[in-house]
Amino acid sequence: MMGDHGNSEDEYVYVSDDDDDISGVDDCDDDYEADDYDDNRDEFQAVDVSIVTGPSSKVITKESLLAAQREDLVRIMDLLSVKEHHARALLIHYSWDVEKVLAVLVEHGNDELFAAAGVKVVEHDDGPSSLQFSSTVSCNICYDDVSATEVTTMDCSHCFCNDCWTNHFIVKINEGQSRSITCMAHKCGAICDEAKIRCLVGARDSDLAEKFDRFLLESYIEDNKRVKWCPSVPHCGNAIRIEVDELCEVECACGLQFCFGCSSEAHSPCSCLMWKLWSKKCQDESMTANWITVHTKPCPSCHKPVEKNGGCNLVRCICKRTFCWHCGGQTHDFYGCGRYKDKDVEMDTQSAKRDLERYMHYYNRYKAHTDSFKLERKMKKTMHNKINKLYESDTSSKDFSWITNGLNRLFRSRRILSYSYPFAFYMFGNQLFKEDRKKKKQRYEEEEEGEEGEKKKKRQKYEEEKKKNKQLEDDMKKERTIKQDLFEDQQQQFEANVEKLSMYLEEKFESYSEDKFKDWKMRTIALSVTTDNLGRNLYEFIETDLLGCFKDADHKIAPYKSKGVEKASEHHSSLGI
Amino acid sequence: MQASRARLFKEYKEVQREKTADPDIQLVCDDSNIFKWTALIKGPSETPFEGGVFQLAFAVPEQYPLQPPQVRFLTKIFHPNVHFKTGEICLDILKNAWSPAWTLQSVCRAIIALMAHPEPDSPLNCDSGNLLRSGDTRGYQSMARMYTRLAAMPKKG
Ligand SMILES: [Zn+2]
Ligand SMILES: [Zn+2]
Ligand SMILES: [Zn+2]
Ligand SMILES: [Zn+2]
Ligand SMILES: [Zn+2]
Ligand SMILES: [Zn+2]
Ligand SMILES: [Zn+2]
Repeated sequence: MMGDHGNSEDEYVYVSDDDDDISGVDDCDDDYEADDYDDNRDEFQAVDVSIVTGPSSKVITKESLLAAQREDLVRIMDLLSVKEHHARALLIHYSWDVEKVLAVLVEHGNDELFAAAGVKVVEHDDGPSSLQFSSTVSCNICYDDVSATEVTTMDCSHCFCNDCWTNHFIVKINEGQSRSITCMAHKCGAICDEAKIRCLVGARDSDLAEKFDRFLLESYIEDNKRVKWCPSVPHCGNAIRIEVDELCEVECACGLQFCFGCSSEAHSPCSCLMWKLWSKKCQDESMTANWITVHTKPCPSCHKPVEKNGGCNLVRCICKRTFCWHCGGQTHDFYGCGRYKDKDVEMDTQSAKRDLERYMHYYNRYKAHTDSFKLERKMKKTMHNKINKLYESDTSSKDFSWITNGLNRLFRSRRILSYSYPFAFYMFGNQLFKEDRKKKKQRYEEEEEGEEGEKKKKRQKYEEEKKKNKQLEDDMKKERTIKQDLFEDQQQQFEANVEKLSMYLEEKFESYSEDKFKDWKMRTIALSVTTDNLGRNLYEFIETDLLGCFKDADHKIAPYKSKGVEKASEHHSSLGI
Repeated sequence: MQASRARLFKEYKEVQREKTADPDIQLVCDDSNIFKWTALIKGPSETPFEGGVFQLAFAVPEQYPLQPPQVRFLTKIFHPNVHFKTGEICLDILKNAWSPAWTLQSVCRAIIALMAHPEPDSPLNCDSGNLLRSGDTRGYQSMARMYTRLAAMPKKG
């Protein structure tokens, strides 16, 4: 873990005598003043590790949408020397993936690339054609003889009267097919020139021409794999474009953080599928969960929820403890009933209950951390006031960015913590990875077979095989248990640190003496660094040791970001538009 | 509305003028409604439909020719791409491959071509499609011929 901090985006590096460095946390550009803390045995050094790669996501506002789209259009127009509407047809066909267009070009050549997208580049000059020598042309759609000035010829060289073209375009735009309006001639799939469409439609219905332009523009977002609308409700009007191919979480300019994979709230280390299942389950179970809280009480000895079935207020838990529904006491003689009929609980109900208990275990922790997150968010304001107070006091350093950083570390870690519970629910449950586990078992078996194929044929070895099979299953179960233990160790350690960080940050540091304040500062920064490392380790463990064992593309998670979900930067056009 | 009416009127005049041009197709416009047409088409030769005369009904939409007409067989026909009960026709040019350059006359021609070259892979009549797909051409032909005789030929006597 140590030593890879050049890759992380941390700006501060903590240097100790034994040359182990621990990355610090800081979003601020100001240099840290190490001199003030020379009484500490370690010193902080400000090291600016500038981010090597550019921003991986950009906000596309209504205003910058046009410019963003033009950039891609111009690239294709330049590279292939085609007209704008050809470039657009190509890009729409290939989901605005410039790289893909170029790859197809290299692999299959111009003709195939153009044909697939319905692009016909005909080498006919736009100058006076033979049409203009005869004064009238017969239109093949309306069968009218029209003046040669009243017809339009498309790139595919099909010519019809302007009225017919206009009618055709209006029908297609209203059908929602603005992005791929083809020629009217039979079996001609050529995409019509958007400038001609705009001109003809605009002459009859300027509103519809505007609509057409909007549809074309929105194609850049809706047909584009790298661009997504921000899922905010009500919609902020922005879209986000990512520059990387891997799954990531982004923050829109409106402040909403979302998963680029599934457009729901940022949910790592849950995979998108896990999160989808979890949200659905929470919704479904909320009924049951409510029912539990209303209709059950925790058993005084084992604390499991016990359901009261029937009017009798002396209830019996599966642990055999009987207690009074009202006061939790052992008996309730004064009710006068005194007898409790023991009912056989069916196995089904038992296992359903067990499942529910398991869910409740994870749900309660998930919920607790989500609630804490909401509460801690409120600290932001009080912290701001406290910091302002510090500014007014005569401390030697005026840089308190590390406090904000610690607070941000807490926010991020709290979120990770809450999502780590639904993750564990699915990772160590039986619902997902069934196929993978079966395959894994088969793989083991095949390996075994290879070694002992000869012996296996012999009938007397049958018992041994059976034993081996049992052994194999046990081994896999053991492996799972070990991994779960390891995961929970890390999760609990992370959790303990997060709680501690929360406590530190709630201290009344603004009224501390200088020495005490310095001590608090050291503790806070160190804890913040440890928490960061623990979070990163947790992700790493999940990615390599847990999800890495299953070659399931459905379970990719957004990478750990020390600084949290990246804020998408404003899109600045390179074209200067 | 106006454009489709004008176009249909021109098609009508064309049909009148070329009445003898295509002896296999007889297109008739409804006396009171220019958006309703019927056609009589001759079953193509060397097919099980040979000798039969099939009636088609056209319902032309107001957006015509930007949108295709609805066409169905009024005469019972045993063909993989024609629904046996409703007479509905599965033909690409009547759906997504429609182009305004088609006319009612050329649609009739396309339907005659479909009768001669069925597409058993997109069947509306599964029995018929299955016979062809299983390679039982003789079975298909005898069924089709039987229905042609029953439904598409003038009753003798
Ligand atoms: Zn025309
Ligand atoms: Zn064309
Ligand atoms: Zn937004
Ligand atoms: Zn997701
Ligand atoms: Zn109990
Ligand atoms: Zn009782
Ligand atoms: Zn009681």
